[in-house]
Amino acid sequence: MDFYQGKVLKIDLSAGTAIVEPLNMEWAELYIGGKGLMLRYLWELTEPGLDPWSPDNPFIVATGPFAGTNVSTCSRVVIGGKSPASGTMLDSYMGGSFGSILKFAGYDMVIVQGLAPQLSTILIKDDVVTLAPCPAYTGMKTSEIEAALRADFDAKMTAISIGPAGESKLPWACISNDQYHKAGRGGTGALLGSKNVKAIAVAGTGKVTVGDAKAFLDDIERMDADYILTDDNYWVHEEGTPILVGITSGAGCQPVRNFSEGTNPDVENIDSEAFQKIRVKKRACYQCTLACRNFHRVEGAEGEGPEYETIALCGANVGVGDIDALMKFNIECDEWGLDTISTGNVLGLAMDMTEKGIHDFGVRFGDLDAYLKVPEQLATRSGIGAELAMGAKALAEKHGCPELAMHSKNLEMPGYDPRGSFGMSIAYASSDRGGCHMRSFPIGVEVVEGSMPADTLDSSKVVWNIDFQNHYAFKFCGIWCDFWAIDYDQMTQLMKHLWKRDVTEDELKVVGERVWNLGRLYNLREGTEKKDDFVPKAMLEKPFTTGVSAGKVIGSERFAKVMDEYYATRGWDENAVPTEDKLRQLGIDVRL
Amino acid sequence: MPHVMISNKKCTGCHMCELGCSAFHEGGFQPSLARLFTDVNPTTAVIKGHSCLQTACAKCQEACPEDAIVTRQITVKPAGEFSSREKNGDTVTGFVLIVDESKCTNCGDCYEVCPYDVIHEHPAREVAFKCDLCDGDPQCIAFCQNKYVLAVDLKLDKKDKELRA
Repeated sequence: MDFYQGKVLKIDLSAGTAIVEPLNMEWAELYIGGKGLMLRYLWELTEPGLDPWSPDNPFIVATGPFAGTNVSTCSRVVIGGKSPASGTMLDSYMGGSFGSILKFAGYDMVIVQGLAPQLSTILIKDDVVTLAPCPAYTGMKTSEIEAALRADFDAKMTAISIGPAGESKLPWACISNDQYHKAGRGGTGALLGSKNVKAIAVAGTGKVTVGDAKAFLDDIERMDADYILTDDNYWVHEEGTPILVGITSGAGCQPVRNFSEGTNPDVENIDSEAFQKIRVKKRACYQCTLACRNFHRVEGAEGEGPEYETIALCGANVGVGDIDALMKFNIECDEWGLDTISTGNVLGLAMDMTEKGIHDFGVRFGDLDAYLKVPEQLATRSGIGAELAMGAKALAEKHGCPELAMHSKNLEMPGYDPRGSFGMSIAYASSDRGGCHMRSFPIGVEVVEGSMPADTLDSSKVVWNIDFQNHYAFKFCGIWCDFWAIDYDQMTQLMKHLWKRDVTEDELKVVGERVWNLGRLYNLREGTEKKDDFVPKAMLEKPFTTGVSAGKVIGSERFAKVMDEYYATRGWDENAVPTEDKLRQLGIDVRL
Repeated sequence: MPHVMISNKKCTGCHMCELGCSAFHEGGFQPSLARLFTDVNPTTAVIKGHSCLQTACAKCQEACPEDAIVTRQITVKPAGEFSSREKNGDTVTGFVLIVDESKCTNCGDCYEVCPYDVIHEHPAREVAFKCDLCDGDPQCIAFCQNKYVLAVDLKLDKKDKELRA
């Protein structure tokens, strides 16, 4: 078979078995790979209303059909399951090399269910799969576990692993690959940790075929030159995501001090220019020409990152403008296995509550000594970490200040405040996994390009968000990276190789919409309702006082109106449920 | 003489060279059979490239008891939008070391002496396999065409430079 390996590796930890099943090619046709295929398997694998902490909750790793070829950025994998953080579907993506190497080992997907009797690793060397108890790896940080697996298993292996945060089942513990790549959001690491699995390591020597390899190489060379290695795309190589730091603060949409302002007074200390001064090397993911990853060095700390979200949440949002401290904090989060978005969001909340006299956590905005202790405290649930581990929503509710928790569907908000980019309110509220900027990203048009006004919210924003969500739902089946601004036309040129026939843009749009609606169905099945499609009231009602977004208010009424328009435009009923007509039109093969 | 070199300093560790190489020679993407490779430490910024220096090294040819590693003339026109030589409209004629599979007995002497670990036994054909500069169109360079990086490029040894001068 070309592109797909046609195999799913299914591991039952409770039974101690590993079996290889053929990939369901009917589903692969309908849902492609990545997000779509993962969701279809997730739908099938679990009973409705599953407890996310149940051993039955599957930990799914899915590749896209282009993983293991030289299509740029497609080494990405999606980690899926039911989110222990939000109770919604979980799809968290990362680059690195795991996707490509898993394909070389001969698998399109790995599905792990059950509970291992003790902390274990899953070792995959082509067709040999071993479940190995690993008590000696207990408590290892992410760099340590990878070094241990290179020494103990295979020098050329790559692994997805958890740090101590995953072992302690912190709801925002993340998955790591090649140390610096994180499937950060929604508790991927907590899910693997709950199964008593420390790591899945893979070494692969096999082949991914594409049909006529030489013709394929020629076509990819053309596409690289025309679509990827262009001056327009190269901001990701030259600057990377820190480029956004100055942009979002300038537009008044950077989270500052628990989202209380949108303009960062310390911005020049932690912006792109500041990071370029400490940059030592550019690195790439496997099979990617863009090389967006930045290695930085300050006294006492060297490593990759931080990326924009970390700078925003673990810098601006906690009142930290010290680049050395931020570098160290980021490395600590990487090592302990923490999602930096939720970490900075929850820590900002704790600082806010302390400053407001609601509860004294002993951490205040900009207090570097207390700040640098937090990653370890969270991962080990010690000190203030024990309480902060509740997450923003539960923590704020416990202390009687739910209005201070900046989340949607119990997933902490990332680094863009809708008050400086009104369209983001729709993006967050309608996101299938909660507070997330990776489903639609109005920042691109409202802030970066300025092709749509940042302070309007009307039908045009509804339609724009829906188109973007469908586009990205397809893109994340690929799995293409956010940083290749690939359009439908370019995707048809690649899909033509996969399907070995002419492909139209409309076909791909239908797939994207199909995947988005399947996600909606899953969330509805698991108990998420229309009322959960919200953004915190402060973002709708409470204006900022500084910067270009000062005084601007979305308003709860206007927000409710556009959300109703959103459901109607999607073809969903008054309860925000996809209609039978819509499901039939999209060819979705499951029903509530 | 022309050979492919990897700049450890410039290399970003994307492995595109190995992917292009294996697809060209093996009919599919299989970096375990690439004719060059990069050792990438994911935790640090350290990368080490391994590629064949052809006649500038020739240790495999010296070690071969069967004279199965032969010197062939080749004209190399590096592919790729941003290859430094193509930009200059430059092609290079020189020599490349090729495995004559009819003579190779897979004795392994060359595997032992290669300083760059880039000549091995082919798992399917049970003979040695190595870089042949893709018949003059090196795919590793074509897919390291990142104009900001270009870590894999064609180099000439000193002797060749003298001859051409």
